[in-house]
Amino acid sequence: MSDRAETTVGRVAPPTAPHLVCRGVKKRFGGVEALRGVDFEVRRGEVMALVGDNGAGKSTLMKVIAGAYSGDEGEFFLDDQPVTIDTPYDAADHGIQIVYQDLALCENLDVAANMYLGSEPVHDGWGFLPRILRPLDDLLMEKKALAAIDRLKVRTLQSVRGKVGGLSGGQRQAIAIARAVGADSTVVLLDEPTAALGVAQTEQVLQAVKNLRDAGHAIVYISHNMADVFEISDRITVLRHGGNVAVYETAQTNTDEIVVAMTRGIDKGAPNAA
Amino acid sequence: MQPDQAIKTEAMQIKKASTISWGQRFVMMRESRFGAFGPVLLALVCIWAYFGITEPVFLSPRNFYNLFMQSAVVGTIAVGITVVLLLGDIDLSAAATSGVCAALMAVLVTNVGMWGPLACLIAIVLGIVMGTTQGMLIAYIGIPSFVVTLAGNLGFQGLMLKILGIHGAINMRDPFVRGITTVALPPALGWALAVVFVAVFAWFSLRRQARRRAIGLELDTPTALYGSIAFFAVLALAAVWTLNSYRGVPLLVVLLIGMTALLGWVTTSTPFGRMLFAVGGNQESARRVGISVQRTRVAAFGIVGLMAAIGGIVGASRYASVSFNAFAGGPLLLEAIGAAVIGGTSLFGGRGSVWNALLGALVIGSLGNGLDLSGASAADKLMFSGAILLLAVAIDALSRGGGNGGR
Ligand SMILES: Nc1ncnc2c1ncn2[C@@H]1O[C@H](COP(=O)(O)OP(=O)(O)OP(=O)(O)O)[C@@H](O)[C@H]1O
Ligand SMILES: [Mg+2]
Repeated sequence: MSDRAETTVGRVAPPTAPHLVCRGVKKRFGGVEALRGVDFEVRRGEVMALVGDNGAGKSTLMKVIAGAYSGDEGEFFLDDQPVTIDTPYDAADHGIQIVYQDLALCENLDVAANMYLGSEPVHDGWGFLPRILRPLDDLLMEKKALAAIDRLKVRTLQSVRGKVGGLSGGQRQAIAIARAVGADSTVVLLDEPTAALGVAQTEQVLQAVKNLRDAGHAIVYISHNMADVFEISDRITVLRHGGNVAVYETAQTNTDEIVVAMTRGIDKGAPNAA
Repeated sequence: MQPDQAIKTEAMQIKKASTISWGQRFVMMRESRFGAFGPVLLALVCIWAYFGITEPVFLSPRNFYNLFMQSAVVGTIAVGITVVLLLGDIDLSAAATSGVCAALMAVLVTNVGMWGPLACLIAIVLGIVMGTTQGMLIAYIGIPSFVVTLAGNLGFQGLMLKILGIHGAINMRDPFVRGITTVALPPALGWALAVVFVAVFAWFSLRRQARRRAIGLELDTPTALYGSIAFFAVLALAAVWTLNSYRGVPLLVVLLIGMTALLGWVTTSTPFGRMLFAVGGNQESARRVGISVQRTRVAAFGIVGLMAAIGGIVGASRYASVSFNAFAGGPLLLEAIGAAVIGGTSLFGGRGSVWNALLGALVIGSLGNGLDLSGASAADKLMFSGAILLLAVAIDALSRGGGNGGR
């Protein structure tokens, strides 16, 4: 399925080859087959929406791509080069960043610490120590964190020195997003990033996603909100019961068709499936 | 540690606090890095003031000297235990580990005639091995730390008895080992150390402030900046003055502060420290950013083992003997855990500081010492310690926001 012809192009998606390609990704949790051989791809400068019912396997697929779970089977390609993603560090090295559905923040740490958790900058000149024992450059962290949050325009968050435990759901979401876009990345995976947000903040996140897209990032956007999906995406991948249903050009489909595909699946030769 | 920054945060939060409830204000104060010092410092001051009035001898330089020495073993082990508490784990075998290491060291020195420093080194390595072994069982097999270290406690108690043999106690006369707790620095050296300590602290604070200005980050208020420097200067100079008016600053106090400073730095200012706090705060988040939860856990238990062994050596030196009851069989374990918790380290993981463990040890030591002076019975001492411990845990639970929906 992954080598289908990429001829029909949406509104803004540039007609380029896919940046990230996954083939035949499988993942079992004990008796549950969460992913049964999923193909997935996303181009640079494109927002690929990923939709499906609860339990369809969307989050699991994202976690496998981000290295948080290692898939049981499956191949990954970045710009046609095969890559292995076994740990979150592998994913980060390949420029893959993720905002988890449950955010995965540490409430006992401050905002800046959360944003650089696992990739803290350290001071130069302590080469004789293993990296994890070198002094943190926490002022640099604070500065970069402030800059990343400024770019997202979260006006309610003034200091990055407060503990995350004291923040609202929307502020936490903003931090998780700032964390993902603050790092050097080419692929950004957003798992229901607006679930906890008000109308204004949702607009901000959608705008941030558009900015990232225009900057040439490859973006995967998971949401149950069809209005958002249709506003922001260039293509839509539908999953059902851990398998592919189809990939649609957003401009050439509509909400009803997607909802039907999500809930009932489609016949193989459905006319609109790209 | 950056107390300057923490004071500032605290001051900021208190300024904002005019519109919020006392409960929230209390939580916020405890959340700030320096604010966590507050309750335990207050407890210490209250205890000292109370015994200072009822038993004037309590505040004499001689008694302070003894107080510091008495609290050293508990403090050393409490500092180690704090590191695993940060992960949300517990170590019930620390005192027994301490006992085994002390016993081995004593046997090597007394019965084998080994050179003191070498015997100490071997004991320290043994402590680390004992700690990491338990850590591996916890991290890789997945047995709760409570169970592993409870078993370890029993096993190590037995091991200690085996090593001590039929005598039940071994006397320590080795000059090196005894020297750890008997040597006091000459007064001039004590003053010099205090001055260097304050100067280094001031230099770091000021340089940090300068860097904040250069980078364009929000600055600490001058009151907080110079206030913290002045606070530490007064503290250090007062401590040296007091100790110098008896026998001088004990070498042990310098060693203990040095080790705590090192561990304090590791836990707050290195990526490894961040791992400890992250795993304690949200293990799944830590795992997802690529932190090896298992290796972090093993390392933390290695550190308790290390500190337990050092505590064992200090104890052997101080009591001039190694006996079962002074370590594994006595109240040492509960006092050390109590000290860490009284210091404000959370039993739920993710919050705490090794410095506070030292203060907690001083609280427990002061209570014991003061009650001894006032001729209280063993029964009174136990009940007092219990009440203080309960109070500390209550403060911990409250500051977790028990009334705020469990967040
Ligand atoms: N850690 C896990 N252990 C066991 N089963 C899991 C685990 N994570 C996911 N699953 C199972 O895998 C399947 C897919 O879950 P997943 O979270 O990927 O769904 P989703 O599409 O993200 O759903 P939602 O829209 O509700 O977020 C579900 O049946 C779920 O029960
Ligand atoms: Mg999901």
